[in-house]
Amino acid sequence: MTALAATEPLGAKAVEAAAGPPPRPAKRAGPLEWIVVHLVFLVVCAFFLVPFLWLLSAAFDGKASAYIQFPVQPTIMNFVRIFTEHDFARVLANSVFVAVATMLLVVVAVSLAGYSLSRLDLRRKDWITYAVLLLQTMPISATMVPIYGLAKQLGLRNSYLGLILIHAAIELPFLIWLMKGFFDSIPRHLEEAAWLDGRSKLRALIEIVLPLARPGLGIAAGLAFLSAWAEVLMVVILIDQDSLKTVPLAFYEAMRTQGGYTEVQYGVIAAMAVIYLLPVMVVFFAARRLMVRGLMSSTRGL
Amino acid sequence: MATVEFDQVWKRFPSQTAPAVRGLNLTVPDRELLVLLGPSGCGKTTALRMLAGLEEPDGGDIRIGGKSVVGLEPKDRDVALVFQSYALYPHLSARDNIGYPLKVRNLSKAEQGAKIDRVAEMLGIGHLLPRRPAQLSGGEQQRVALARAIVREPRVFLMDEPLSNLDAKLRVHTRTELKTLQRDLGTTMVFVTHDQAEAMSLAHRIAVLSQGELQQIGTPDDVYDRPANVFVAEFIGSPPMNLLEATRDGDSVVTSGGWRVPAPDGLDASPAGELTLGLRPEGIDIVSDGQPAEVVAVEPFGSEVIVDVRIGPQALKIRAAPDVRPTPGSTIALRADAAAVRLFDRASGAALS
Repeated sequence: MTALAATEPLGAKAVEAAAGPPPRPAKRAGPLEWIVVHLVFLVVCAFFLVPFLWLLSAAFDGKASAYIQFPVQPTIMNFVRIFTEHDFARVLANSVFVAVATMLLVVVAVSLAGYSLSRLDLRRKDWITYAVLLLQTMPISATMVPIYGLAKQLGLRNSYLGLILIHAAIELPFLIWLMKGFFDSIPRHLEEAAWLDGRSKLRALIEIVLPLARPGLGIAAGLAFLSAWAEVLMVVILIDQDSLKTVPLAFYEAMRTQGGYTEVQYGVIAAMAVIYLLPVMVVFFAARRLMVRGLMSSTRGL
Repeated sequence: MATVEFDQVWKRFPSQTAPAVRGLNLTVPDRELLVLLGPSGCGKTTALRMLAGLEEPDGGDIRIGGKSVVGLEPKDRDVALVFQSYALYPHLSARDNIGYPLKVRNLSKAEQGAKIDRVAEMLGIGHLLPRRPAQLSGGEQQRVALARAIVREPRVFLMDEPLSNLDAKLRVHTRTELKTLQRDLGTTMVFVTHDQAEAMSLAHRIAVLSQGELQQIGTPDDVYDRPANVFVAEFIGSPPMNLLEATRDGDSVVTSGGWRVPAPDGLDASPAGELTLGLRPEGIDIVSDGQPAEVVAVEPFGSEVIVDVRIGPQALKIRAAPDVRPTPGSTIALRADAAAVRLFDRASGAALS
C-alpha cells in the first residue's frame, strides 16, 4: 500500500491536510488506497461467494440451469420435491446420525489417546507419536481398495457402524495430535493433586483434566462432525443401500438418475445443498469462539 | 498421625546417569516436622514424590505408619501434598477446591460444608471461598492449597516448597503460621525446601541432602553447630561457615594464611593430616591483640555487621556487633573462639572430632 501512496502523493497530502497539524505524519491510508483495498476485498469475496449465490438462486428457481441467474421461475417446489420424491428426510437423518456418532466416538478416543501420548511413560512413545502423524499424511484414496475389501469381509458395508468407524479413523490422527498439544499445556500437578485428594487416574482425567481441555475437545468435536458430514469418498464406496444413503450420495444420484447429465435437475441439487450447508453454519456459529480460542491455545501447546 | 520411614530407598530416572536418590534411610516419628533441605537436584523433591506415590522407588521400602506403601496408588496413601505451584483446580471455586477431597470421600453436603467453613476460618480465608483461583493473589492461593490439604485430616502432610512463590515478607510470616499450625494439628509433616533459613526456623529436625545422599540429620542446632561435613557447613548459615585450608601442628591448627588456632580437645587426626578448618562468622572475635587481618569490606545489617577480612590469601567473614565499623584497608586483630573451632578431613570433607 505504501507503493500506491507513492504514486498518488496528492491523496496522501489531502489526508494530512484534513488531519490538521499532527505531531507526527498521519499513517492513515489515502482515499484511493481505501478504494483499491476494498475493491480487492470485494473481488476476493465475490470469488468465494458466487457458488453460494448460485446455490441460493437455483434452489428457488423452477428453471435452474448451470449458469448463475436470478430465479426465472421463483418457487419453493425444489424443496418440496426433495422431500417427496427423493426421501431427503431419511437421507438427512442418516447424515446427522453418522456425523454425531462419529463426533462422539472421536471425542472419547482423542481424549484417551491424546492424554496417553501426553502423559504416560510408554516405551518408544516418540515412535508411536510419529506413527500417528505418518498416518495423517497418507492420502485416504490410496487405501480405498483395501478399505472396501476389509469392510466387505467384516460385514461393515452398508452399515452405519462401518461409516462411523471409517470417518472417525480418517480424523483421528490429526485430532490426537491436537489433543496431545492441549494436554501438554495442562500442568501435571493438577492431576497429581487430584490423585492425592483420593481420585483414581480415570476420574482425575474426567473431573480435572478434561474440563480444562474443553477448548480442544470443542475443536475436535467440531472438526470431526464437519468432516464426517462432508466426507464423500467412503460413503460412495461403502453404501449402496437406499435406506442408508447420506447427503453426498443423494447428490451423486440426483445427478445421475434423471436420465443422464443433460437433464440434471439443478434446482433439486441446489435445494439439497442449501439444506446440507445449514448444519455446517450452525456448528460454525455455535462453536466459533471456542474454536478460535482452541486453535490459538493449541499452537501454544504443540 | 503416623511415622514415616525411608529404608534404603533408591531412585534412578532413565534420562539421568546419576541416581536421584541413593540409599536414603530416614525415620520421621509421629507428629514431627521434618525438613528435607538441599540445593536443587539433590533428590529432596524426588524423595517427597516417592512418599506421595507420584514416583515409585527402584529399590528399598517406604513405610507410613509402619506399613509399606510401595506400589500403592497415591489415592490410597492418605497423605496430602501442597505443591510449589499450589495446583489449585482452575475451573473450581476456592470452596470447591477445598471441598474436592471431601467430595471424593462421599461426605454429606452438610458435613463437607461444616469442614470447609471450619478450615477456612482457621486460615482466615472465609471471604475468598466463592472466588476462582485466578481471582486470588499468590498468598491467598497458597492458603487455599493449605486448606485443601488440612481439610481432609491426612496421616501425613507433604510440602513441596510451598512458600517459595511468596514474596519475602509474606514468606516469613507464613512459615511462623505453618509451624504453629503443624503443632496444633499434631500431624507429621515432611517439608521440602532449598532455603536453609526456612529450614532452620520451621524444623524439628533437618535432613540435609546432596546429590541424592543424606548428609546429616539432626535438630537445627545440631546441623548448625556440628555439621557432619563440609557440605553441610557451607550450606547452613548465612553467611556460611568460614572454611580454611589448614594443617596440624602439635596442639594447634595452622591455616595456610598462617593463622594459628588451638585445636579442639580430643582431636585424634594424624598430625600430618590435611585439614579444613571451620569457623562460624560469630566464632571469631575482634580483639586488641591477636591474628592480624586486613579489612576488605564492611556490610552493616542493622542488628549486626559482617566484616569481610583477609588473612594472607584466605578470605573470611566475621559477625560483629552493630557498632563495629572498621575502615576498609585497615588491619584488625582476630581471635578464634576455641569452642567454635570445627575440623574436617580435607580429602573426604567429613567432620573430625
